Amino acid sequence: MIFLASLVPADHFLILTLYALLISMFFALLWRSEKRERVGLFVKLFLALVVGALAVAWLMYPFPS
Amino acid sequence: MSESALPPPSPPPPAAPAEPAAAVRHGPPPLVAAALAWIFPGLGHFVVRRRGTALLYALIVTATFLLGLSFEGRLYSPEPGQPLTILATFAVYGAGLLNLAARYLSSNPSGSILSVTYEYGCAFLLTAGLMNLLLMLDAYDIAAGRK
Repeated sequence: MIFLASLVPADHFLILTLYALLISMFFALLWRSEKRERVGLFVKLFLALVVGALAVAWLMYPFPS
Repeated sequence: MSESALPPPSPPPPAAPAEPAAAVRHGPPPLVAAALAWIFPGLGHFVVRRRGTALLYALIVTATFLLGLSFEGRLYSPEPGQPLTILATFAVYGAGLLNLAARYLSSNPSGSILSVTYEYGCAFLLTAGLMNLLLMLDAYDIAAGRK
């Protein structure tokens, strides 16, 4: 299974984006039935996850690890 | 007694209301659809004739699970003194045969905690199992005619 990991660099933002992509696709399919609504929900969820994660990361930046 | 003294004939009873969709379904019973959905992601939707979404669900959940494995995440098992591992085990077992096959085939089902992607792998594996649990409920609802 390591071969899949080699396709995705161990980059935090890239993995986060991939996770957001899969989650958004899943819930857009599950919660909406029309194609147009699905696309709209996908975009909203994807942006909320990625932008939200960046916002939380920015807020946490001053705190020591 | 003459016919004119008879009471007028009563009107015919109203037609029975149309049966709900659940009563005329032709698919498998809801529990069978849910069980098939657990066995492999999307299989429950496939048998209730949502073939397009079934394929997409299979791709999404399988990709999430395989990425979790490739990131060296952990296939949780209950541990004494660690009650949260019970919940995590329940979540991972939601992935059905994917989880069982991975446990059987993997040389290291506990993952590699030293790997830089270990936490990501755990998150992907847990998410894949939880997604499939939601698919089970959805397949159940569709087979029951609620959706």
